[in-house]
Amino acid sequence: MTAATDTLNPTQGDHAGEAHGHDDHGHHAATGWRRWVYATNHKDIGTLYLWFSFSMFILGGTMALGIRAELFTPGLQFWQPEFFNQLTTLHGIIMVFGAIMPAFTGLANWMLPLMLGAPDMAFARMNNWSFWLLPPSALLLVISLFVPGGAAAGGWTLYPPLSLQFGMGMDLAIFSVHLLGLSSIMGSINIIVTILNMRSPGMTLMKMPMFAWTSLVTAYLLIAVAPVLAGAVTMLLTDRHFGTHFFKAVGGGDPVLFQHIFWFFGHPEVYIMALPAFGIVSQIIPTFARKPLFGYHSMVYATASIAILSFMVWAHHMFSVGMPATAQLFFMFMTMLIAVPTGVKVFNWIATMWQGAMSFETPMLFAVGFVCLFTVGGFSGLVLSIAPVDTQMHDTYYVVAHFHYVLVAGALFSLFGAVYYWLPKWTGYMYSEKMGKFHFWWSMVWFNVTFFPMHFLGLAGMPRRIPDYPLQFTDFNALASVGAFCFGLGQLFFLYNVIHTIRGGVGKAPANPWEGAHTLEWEVPSPAPHHTWETPPSQELVEKGLKEQAL
Amino acid sequence: MTSATLTSVERDRANRRTAIKLGIAAAAMVGFAYGMVPFYNVFCEALGIDRARPELADVHAAAMRVEFDTNVSNGLPARLTPLEPVVAGRAGGLVKAKFRLENLSDAPLGLRAVPSYAPERAGRFLTKMECFCFNALTLAARETRDVTVVLLVDEQMPAELGAVTLSYTLFPLEDKA
Repeated sequence: MTAATDTLNPTQGDHAGEAHGHDDHGHHAATGWRRWVYATNHKDIGTLYLWFSFSMFILGGTMALGIRAELFTPGLQFWQPEFFNQLTTLHGIIMVFGAIMPAFTGLANWMLPLMLGAPDMAFARMNNWSFWLLPPSALLLVISLFVPGGAAAGGWTLYPPLSLQFGMGMDLAIFSVHLLGLSSIMGSINIIVTILNMRSPGMTLMKMPMFAWTSLVTAYLLIAVAPVLAGAVTMLLTDRHFGTHFFKAVGGGDPVLFQHIFWFFGHPEVYIMALPAFGIVSQIIPTFARKPLFGYHSMVYATASIAILSFMVWAHHMFSVGMPATAQLFFMFMTMLIAVPTGVKVFNWIATMWQGAMSFETPMLFAVGFVCLFTVGGFSGLVLSIAPVDTQMHDTYYVVAHFHYVLVAGALFSLFGAVYYWLPKWTGYMYSEKMGKFHFWWSMVWFNVTFFPMHFLGLAGMPRRIPDYPLQFTDFNALASVGAFCFGLGQLFFLYNVIHTIRGGVGKAPANPWEGAHTLEWEVPSPAPHHTWETPPSQELVEKGLKEQAL
Repeated sequence: MTSATLTSVERDRANRRTAIKLGIAAAAMVGFAYGMVPFYNVFCEALGIDRARPELADVHAAAMRVEFDTNVSNGLPARLTPLEPVVAGRAGGLVKAKFRLENLSDAPLGLRAVPSYAPERAGRFLTKMECFCFNALTLAARETRDVTVVLLVDEQMPAELGAVTLSYTLFPLEDKA
């Protein structure tokens, strides 16, 4: 709060970005490790989030490769089934809570104050806390691999009765989820307050960049459901150690109750990982189509509709546990209804590109790749929403294919696009377009080689979360494993590409390297100075950009 | 409400107010998670969803699941509903079940309920003590009546018997058909 208030002091420099090294910012002058551990600057914290999430991406990715190595041929090669199950569980938890979610929070931290014309996030110290809860929670998960009984192995959904029976690895996972939830809630409070209270003059809610809108709605979703997950795992914990019987059938509890509570969190969680991706794509596509975003207002309403509907569809994850036909129909139709606002978004993106002067720099490639592949994932989701079909496909590789299309080709591709889009702003240097394009095409090809065959495996009946499989599934599994290793290799190339850019890339970046970008972050120099918008941008400046965006 | 219209102190206060509201919302959602527990029980009961049953969960005693199924023969303006669709039976214990019988027509109605059960081998372990079945029943116009079944579970009931389904079908009384 202090950082946010004293930077508003009107006696300071009248142009944003020129106040670097201002002497009343002594508490920001920390260097070395102190700069990061005591970080209160939104850009530093954003950077921390992004590096943390990348390292979790590599960790979770390594686990995925452990899974794919085992599945390359039938039979047990590398791991015992117990360890294989730990790999699938930790891969899920780490990718969802460690890689994707912190990456979006990191982007929101870095970009929201710049895009909205605010000097920093609303609560700078709480921001520091939100980030620094993450490394310990990741550590708990890693430690859990080495305790007696190993890590949690019942899948990322932590279903009882398995989760009631595991050893202390499960307790560590529960505590880890507590910390992650706390971090998400604080991060979300910060994002909401920043967006609601700290926008520059002239930028009304309905004129904010789409990324701000999707971040705002996502933050609301998190505040609503992260505590529900925390409650669910706390009930697991007390069932395990303190004699309660929420989910223990022996004591009168019901394991199915956990599934309801978990998916009440879990389905909005799906949109927590998808909405910010929609926001990023809605920034990138207008820039490279050199046209304003088509249907801005409908985009906002679609985002809100998806968020509201996400609370009414959770039981479609549970069609096979048994529920009255009426309930199945309700959840089935509500799920299908979500395709409407999502379709609005996809059509708006296409309409934005329609007759635009498009150019295909790396961020645009990732955005267009996102639109194509996310739609594939959306369609397989529609297939799964049909209750009788889902009863057949439940817990097969079809589901695995579906959610990797929306989470890898969806969330992750949008994140790659975001990194290439804003890398010049962050580092002050241009990345190599050649290497960026190579990264995109490499990822695009191998992603599909990895995950497309999984649709067929699922339709043929291969269950998920198994270390061994019948012979008839061999060819598609071998193909998927080759694809996964190549895809993984490509991400090391991405790391190289980013480091290459930080070290100078292909030359200095101008303040606005993109011809069609008109949001406020491009009004500050590249690299963005430590302090920006200490005086809010003038109304004329804001309105100039809004006019270009047809708002 | 943007930063230009507020002084830094005012904005600071506004920020804190919003944060407190959001913090309260988050805390309330933890409560909501716990609130789902009793709500789930109420909901399952109201919908008649068969949920995990504590009385079946006692691992030290063999228990039998007794499930009730009801049917009404074609065109008969009556309804038969088990008030508890699933009950637990213990070896040597009694099973009591109530059914609601309704005449949906505006005229008196003569009825007879005919029972059947599955699996066949369960018949040996269930003794009928009291039943509304086979009796000729006459309901006044629009009458609703609760009827009872009492069964004795045999001491020798094998633990692996698992579930028994008792089915009752309503037929019109022969002379009134």
